[in-house]
Amino acid sequence: MKTQNKILLLLMLAVTAFACSETDDKDDQKPVISMSGTEVFPNNCDTLYFGEAFTFRIHFSDNQELGSFSIAMHNNFDHHSHSTEVTECVFGPVKTAVNAFTFIEDYPIPEGDKEYEVNMSVEIPSGEGTTPFDEGDYHFFISLTDKAGWSTQKGLSIKILHR
Amino acid sequence: MRKILVLLSMSVVWCAVSAQNTFVLSGKITDEKNKELPGAAIVVSPGEKGVVSDARGNYRIDGITEGKYQVRVSFIGYREFTDSVQVSSNTTFNCKLKFVPLNLQEVVVTDNYAETRKKEETLNVEVVNDDFLRQNAGGSLMKSLERLPGVSTIDIGSGHSKPVIRGLGFNRVVVVENGVKHEGQQWGADHGLEIDQYSVDNVEVIKGPASLMFGSDAVGGVIDIKQYHLPAEHSINGMVNLVGKTNNNLLGTSVEVAGRKDWFFARLQATVLDYGDYKVPADSVDIYSYRVPLYKNHLRNTAGYERNWHLSFGIVKPRFQSRFFASNISSKSGFFANAHGLEPRNVDTELHDKSKRDILYPFQQVDHFKLVNKSWWKMGKATFNADLGFQRNFRQEKSNYTSHGYMPPVFPDTMSFAADLEREFDKYVYSGTLKASLEQNTQTTYTAGVSSEYQENRIDGRGFIIPAFQQFTLGGFLVAKHSFSEKSLLQFGLRFDYGTIKTEAYYDWFSSPTENGNAYLQRAQDLDRSFSNVSWSAGYSYSPEHWLLKVNVGKSFRMPIAKELAANGVNYHHFSYEVGNPDLSAEVSYQLDGGVEYHSQKLTVGITPFLNYFPNYIYLNPTSEHDRLYGNGNQVYIYQQSEVFRLGGELHAHYQLLKSLQIGVIGEYVYSEQLSGEKKGFTLPFSPPASAIINLKYRKEKFLFFQHAYTSVDYRLTAAQNNIVPPEETTDAYQTVNLGMGGEVKIRQQNLKLSLQVQNLFNTRYFSHTSYYRLINLPESGRNFILNVSIPFSGEIK
Repeated sequence: MKTQNKILLLLMLAVTAFACSETDDKDDQKPVISMSGTEVFPNNCDTLYFGEAFTFRIHFSDNQELGSFSIAMHNNFDHHSHSTEVTECVFGPVKTAVNAFTFIEDYPIPEGDKEYEVNMSVEIPSGEGTTPFDEGDYHFFISLTDKAGWSTQKGLSIKILHR
Repeated sequence: MRKILVLLSMSVVWCAVSAQNTFVLSGKITDEKNKELPGAAIVVSPGEKGVVSDARGNYRIDGITEGKYQVRVSFIGYREFTDSVQVSSNTTFNCKLKFVPLNLQEVVVTDNYAETRKKEETLNVEVVNDDFLRQNAGGSLMKSLERLPGVSTIDIGSGHSKPVIRGLGFNRVVVVENGVKHEGQQWGADHGLEIDQYSVDNVEVIKGPASLMFGSDAVGGVIDIKQYHLPAEHSINGMVNLVGKTNNNLLGTSVEVAGRKDWFFARLQATVLDYGDYKVPADSVDIYSYRVPLYKNHLRNTAGYERNWHLSFGIVKPRFQSRFFASNISSKSGFFANAHGLEPRNVDTELHDKSKRDILYPFQQVDHFKLVNKSWWKMGKATFNADLGFQRNFRQEKSNYTSHGYMPPVFPDTMSFAADLEREFDKYVYSGTLKASLEQNTQTTYTAGVSSEYQENRIDGRGFIIPAFQQFTLGGFLVAKHSFSEKSLLQFGLRFDYGTIKTEAYYDWFSSPTENGNAYLQRAQDLDRSFSNVSWSAGYSYSPEHWLLKVNVGKSFRMPIAKELAANGVNYHHFSYEVGNPDLSAEVSYQLDGGVEYHSQKLTVGITPFLNYFPNYIYLNPTSEHDRLYGNGNQVYIYQQSEVFRLGGELHAHYQLLKSLQIGVIGEYVYSEQLSGEKKGFTLPFSPPASAIINLKYRKEKFLFFQHAYTSVDYRLTAAQNNIVPPEETTDAYQTVNLGMGGEVKIRQQNLKLSLQVQNLFNTRYFSHTSYYRLINLPESGRNFILNVSIPFSGEIK
């Protein structure tokens, strides 16, 4: 029985110790990508144009501190990717890529920020050398993290066309 | 035969006690033709003292006080014999056993066996047999074992799951089959354990640090699987198993045939399982904000099949045994089509909803071949064991080519691999353990051994996660067991391990735009690491009448795996860019285990608490960074080490309400906290929530035309899991009810064993926190009727 008592005592001590140390304020919330509001661009099913710059506008927030974000654009000519949004977009016909456009970039967010307003100009070239990029259905992917490592993703279906 | 092995070792534990006023009960066990029967089990009750007969069929039980006893003699292949004996002096009791050509499955692992195993192991052990597996059969072996306290699973779909013991899984749990460590792709969450649950007849789950006997990786515990069924001499027997499930329309059969002349036996088994998409109690599932409608509640493309065969043969002599086990487990199963991992996918619903049984992209295919030789021989007081094994694990993941990141939009036709081959892992494993046990005297036994393993791993396919690697381990150990009396056992062991791991350099097959123009990125370096570790364990078990008390303290370790050291690629199934850490040290774990059990005729109550500390737990840490070039814009996850403290335990209680009615409670709880590092204060990934099962079981020897009839109700309660770590989601509490019933029916001379289960009786919609599909909100299986029919047959060989 001594062994048992010792174990129980140890257990109780451990439980007490943990009950007392439950005061940490660890971050338990994901950052938020806010897609509402008229200022947001692009929205699901929007169209961008080759050879032009567009203004990427979006609002990020977190309960404690934001981390960083990235945006990526790649072709969805085979319709493989679905957006993470409710609305369904009208896709063009399935086709094979010849010279599809790819864009990937990661961006820091100033340290300590709980709210961050993105308002930046992103240039879409019209082609590679003399070959124009393929127009059609593209996927626009946003990934946001906070300092604790929580993340949120948004995938939008867009079109990128030649004007 | 396993009974013999166990009882042999048990006889070591039960040593002579030279108290006064006690007598010796001894005698000889023979068959009807007066042939001596070595290895028969003789149990005397009350007191439950047991021994096995020696090579000449003789036995001797010391320390019997005056009184009347029941003597029970059993031996595989013979009818059990029970008689009462009056002991008032040294008594001789001889016994002739009657031969019965029995069926494989009639070899029952009695509760006594489990009890004995518990007593001779200072760690906490759960033992189950094939009856348990049949009555609780889930979609896979691990799913069936999930009912045990402290055991949970990480699941993918309806047919695959991985073991988790007290919250630790993946490479922290060792699975051993017939003495050889099972080596598949343990690190991945999206595939299961390649074991045919229909070929298993005995499973032991060791909860706690077991590196001492099993080397690297046995940090959380061990699932020890044995196929020891042996036909009786001059008999042929077998079993036809039929299984059907309503939820995923599974149809399966497993047929086994075994025969034995004198000392030679052979056994052949084949299993075929075929299942369709599984059903959930939901019309749609939400992947992010996108609502996927489900066609007739079916999760698209979760169908699959299994084709397995097993062949074993060998020599069985009283002092020498050598058995060969060859098997191949082959499976193909689809991934939920509307998401590949976490990535939502567009689906050709017309194509997918045409059939519930077809397996389309994306899917996985696994082949696991295993050849094992297990031998032992006895020379005087010494026993030698050799377990040798070869395994090949071949796994492919296939999906439509998708250009991720900087991959070319159109798959070039000049590649050495096919466009649809996403990942391929090809693993060759050679392993061996040599062991010698010396029974110094009736009280002390020493076991010494060496074990070694060599792995060759190759990779292929368009996606890169881990590099090709070679791994070598070598360990030596010494264990001493000393019993002070038949009730008290002290165990101590020490082990040294050395291991190396070499990873191979890997370059992308496509070019990426670096700052200095386009280049083929190098993902993995040539890496050569070596590790060494001393592990130990000390335990004490004390079992006075009605009680079983245990305490064990041990140190276990785990070598970092190739993925932890050298991963460098995007896991598109998780939107993560996973980066290895070549500087990781071998993970070490210290654990204190306890166990208290009280058992009487009517009541059994036990708790098994543990405290566990890792100075350097290895985990994949989601950082706040993104990476453009190597990570294609995905979040960076890096392997790091942190101090971790864990505590928890299990509780079990059974009470015999009436002669045939038993009520039971099983509960489990684990708390984990990281004490340092970037995730300080957080728990560990895949932490199972607290859970309990309240069970009512009604047993009747004869009910209508059923024999050994039973009905049981499981009320399963699982708490919410709000203690999470990125990138997990909190999971709500849920309750489900499972029913089970069955028995044996005799039609003319033919016995049939029937068992029917209803899982998730009320078709409750719930999420499992440890499911791979949890992050995309896929609910667990809905109501499922499972019918299992076993038809044993037997005959004699002249």
